[in-house]
Amino acid sequence: MAAIPEAPTLFLRKATGLVKGWSKFDAFLYSFMSVNFVTLGLFFSLSVLGFVPDGQVLPALLLSGVFISFMVVTYAGLISVMPRAGGDYVWQSRVLGGGIGFVLAVTGWWFILWYWAPVYANILSVEVLQPLAAVLKLDGLSDFLANDNGLFLVIQVTVVLAGVLVALGMETYAKIQKICFYIGMAALTLMFLIMLFGSRSGFQSAFNQEAVNLFGASGDSYNRTLELAGGSQVVPDLGFTPFLGSTLLLVPFLAFWILYPNWGATLYGEVRGASDFRRVMVGMMQGLWVTIAIAVVFILLAAKFFGWQFFNAANLNYWNTVYQTGEAAIPIWPFPPLLASFYFHNPLLSAIIVLAFGAWFLGWAGTLFLSSTRVIFAAAFDRILPERMADVSEHRHVPVWALILMLVPSLVVGALYAYTDNFATYILDAVLVITVTFFGTAIAAMILPFRKRHLYQNSPIARYKFLGIPLISITGFLTAAFLGYNLWKWFWDDLYAVNNFESKLFLLVMYGLAIGIYVVAWFYRRRQGIDLRRVHEEIPVE
Amino acid sequence: MKLFFVSDLHGSEICWKKFLNAGAFYKADVVILGGDITGKAMVPIVQHADGTWAASLQDHLDTLETEAEVVEFEKRVMNRGYYPLRVSDEEYRALQADPELVDKRFKEVMVEGTERWIAMAEDKLAGTGIRVVACPANDDMFEIDDLLAGARVVETGDEEHPIDLGDFTMVSMGWTNPTPWHTFREAEEPELARRIERALQAADDPKKTIFNFHAPPYGSRLDTAPALKEDLSYVSGGQALRPVGSTSVREAIKSYQPLLSLHGHIHESKGAVRLGSTLALNPGSSYEEGILQAAIVDIDPRKQKVKNYLLVNG
Repeated sequence: MAAIPEAPTLFLRKATGLVKGWSKFDAFLYSFMSVNFVTLGLFFSLSVLGFVPDGQVLPALLLSGVFISFMVVTYAGLISVMPRAGGDYVWQSRVLGGGIGFVLAVTGWWFILWYWAPVYANILSVEVLQPLAAVLKLDGLSDFLANDNGLFLVIQVTVVLAGVLVALGMETYAKIQKICFYIGMAALTLMFLIMLFGSRSGFQSAFNQEAVNLFGASGDSYNRTLELAGGSQVVPDLGFTPFLGSTLLLVPFLAFWILYPNWGATLYGEVRGASDFRRVMVGMMQGLWVTIAIAVVFILLAAKFFGWQFFNAANLNYWNTVYQTGEAAIPIWPFPPLLASFYFHNPLLSAIIVLAFGAWFLGWAGTLFLSSTRVIFAAAFDRILPERMADVSEHRHVPVWALILMLVPSLVVGALYAYTDNFATYILDAVLVITVTFFGTAIAAMILPFRKRHLYQNSPIARYKFLGIPLISITGFLTAAFLGYNLWKWFWDDLYAVNNFESKLFLLVMYGLAIGIYVVAWFYRRRQGIDLRRVHEEIPVE
Repeated sequence: MKLFFVSDLHGSEICWKKFLNAGAFYKADVVILGGDITGKAMVPIVQHADGTWAASLQDHLDTLETEAEVVEFEKRVMNRGYYPLRVSDEEYRALQADPELVDKRFKEVMVEGTERWIAMAEDKLAGTGIRVVACPANDDMFEIDDLLAGARVVETGDEEHPIDLGDFTMVSMGWTNPTPWHTFREAEEPELARRIERALQAADDPKKTIFNFHAPPYGSRLDTAPALKEDLSYVSGGQALRPVGSTSVREAIKSYQPLLSLHGHIHESKGAVRLGSTLALNPGSSYEEGILQAAIVDIDPRKQKVKNYLLVNG
C-alpha cells in the first residue's frame, strides 16, 4: 500500500473547549476598527501633515506600515506562545517581571485611557456634533460646542457612553460594531465616489458657497484658506521624494493612528497550531494594510478633488486655531466627508453623510474602557489591587469598581482637557504611553526564546527562524527599534508638542502612580505573608 | 495548612511534572488537581514502509528518521497534553475509518497515561509528607476512576468519598452542567443539586468544609466563556462572553457557605470572588502552553479562616 500522501491529522475526542478558531473576518474586523481610518486617521494623523512642510506622506505611510507589520508578527507570535487573556501584562510579567509588567500595563492600558476619554470626546465633537450643528444651522449649539463647557459636556457624554457599552457587555457591542462597519464602509464609498467623479472647481465653488451659507464667511474662502496657511505650497506635491529625511518626521504623527492593529491581541482558540498563528497574524495584517490602502486612495482623491494644498492648508489652519497661533476660514475642523457633501448643497444629505460617518466613531468608542477593565481584573487577581476591584454586580455582572476606576479619573482629566489651555495639546502623550507599553512587549518578545525556553519550544513559532535566530527575536528587535525611534522623537523634538515640562509632569505622575501602587501593594501583601514575586515564578519541571 | 490547587491539566505532562514539584516549591501541604486530568487528542506517528515516521503537530509535518527523533517528538506531544500514538499506515487508515476504534485507542492511551502519571507521583512524593489529590471531572472517562482509587500516594474523591484533610473535609464533584460537547460527566441542574446534596452529607461544619466542585458557580465571573454558535465557532470572534457555570453549585455555596470553594472547567475565567463569606477560586488553565496556573491558599486551622491566597502562573 502506498504511503499516506498527506500529513497525519490528530484524533480528537469529545471534550470541552474544542472550538473552531477565529473567523478570518472577525480577526480582520477587530484590527481594522482599531486602526480607525476616520476617527484616528482623518482627524489627527492626516490632518497634521502641514507641520512637516518637507515631508511626504506616502512613503511615511509605507515605512510605518512595514515596521508595524513587524510588530504584528511579534504580537501574533506572543499570542501563540501565551494566548491567555491579559496580553501585554501577561507577557511582560512573565518575561520581564511582575513589577515592570504591572507598571507598563496599567499606564498603557488603564491610566492613559483617562486621557483618551477626552480625545474620544473631541473626535465625537469635531466629526459628528459640530458638523451636524453646522449643516442644520443650529448656531446656539455650534457656539456651545465650541466653548469649554460644551467640550466638557461632550466628554461627560462620551465617558458615560463608553461606560454603558462596557456594562452592556461585549456581545451586544460586537453586534453594534459589525453594523457600524457596514454603515461606515458604505458612507466611505459614497465619499470616495463624490471625490472621484466630482471636479475640483465644483468643490471650490461649493466650499465657497457653503462657507457663506453655513458659517457667514465672505469672499473666496477656498483661496483665503490657502493664504492663511502661508501660500499655495503648504506641503510638497504628492510623491516619494524625500523618501527618508523629513518624511521620517511624519512617522510619529502617523503612529497615533495606525499603531494598534494588535488591539485584539488576547483572543484565542484551543488546540491551536501554526495555522492559528498565521490566522491571527493575517487578520491583523489585513486590518493594517486595508486601512493603509484606504488611506492611499483617500490621499489621491483628496489631491484630485479638494486639491492637495487646500486639504493640508485647511487642516493646518484648524490646528493653528487650536494652538492659538493662527486663524481659519471656517470655524470648525474641515471634516472631509462634510466638505465632500457640500458638493450637493443639500443640508439634509450632508447631515445623513455625517451621521453615517458617525458609525466609525460608535464602532470604535466601545473599546475605550474594555481593555482597562481587563487589566484592572488581572491586577486584582494578582493581588496588586484589592480583590474588590474585580467585583461584578450580582445581577447584570457589571464591573462596578473597575468602571469607577475608569470613569472618575477620566472626568478629572477631562476637566483639565476642557478648562486648561495646554492639556488638550498633549494629544501625542496618548500614543506615547501606549508605545512605551508596546516597547516593553517588544523587548519581552526579543528575549522570550532565551529566558523562557520551555514556553517557546512548546509553541508553534519555535520552528520559525532566520539564520538560526528565532523570528520573534528579530521582529521584536525591529519593533523595538521602530517604537524607540518614535519615543525618541516625541521626547526630544518640539514638533510633537509633548516634550514640554507640563506634558512630562503628566507622564511622571502616571508612571509615579503606577510604581507607587505596586510598591505599596508589595509591602502590604508582604505583611500578609504574600510574596508577589511568586505570581510569575516558574515551577521547575524536573 | 497550605493548599496548592490546579485544574484542567488535560494530559499536559509538563504541567503534571510541575504539579508534582509544586508542593516543595511553594511549601504546600496538599497539592490538589481538581479534574480534567486526561488529554483531548491523539497525535498519530505513522510509520512508512521505508522505516521513517510522519507526524504532524501544530500544523507542521515532521518526518522522523531515528528513534531519538521519535522520542523527542513524543515528548513535545505529551507536553501539550496530547497522546502520541505510533501506528503503521494500515492502522492509521483503520483509525480514520472507524470512530469506535479511535474511542478504543483513546481509552487505552488514557489509561496508560494515567498509570504513568500515578507512577511518577509515587516516585516523586512518596515519603515526602506532601499529600497529592487528583479527582476526575467531566472530561475524564470513567475508566480512570479505579486507577486513581487504587493508587498508593495519589488520593481521589467524589460525591461519595470526601477527603479528610486533617482539620478540614474536602467534598468533591467532577460532574458539570451540560456543555456543547456532551462530555462524560454532565447532568442537568436538578441532578447536580442531588449529587451535591449527597456530597454534603459528609460535611457537618461549613467552617471546616472545602468544596472541590469542578463546575464554577453560575454568574460568578469564574465561569465566563466565549459564546459559541451551533457549529462550535465563536460568536463575534470570541468577544461575546457569557456565564456558563452551574446554578446548583452557586446555590450550594450561597446556602452552605463553606470556608473555601475550588473550581476549574472554564480555562479562560481565572479569578477569585467572595460569595457571601465563601472564597471561591478558579485558577484557570494554560495547559497547552505548559504554564501551570494555580491557586495557593493558606488556611488558619485554629481560626478556621483563609489567611491569604495567591493565583500563580507557575
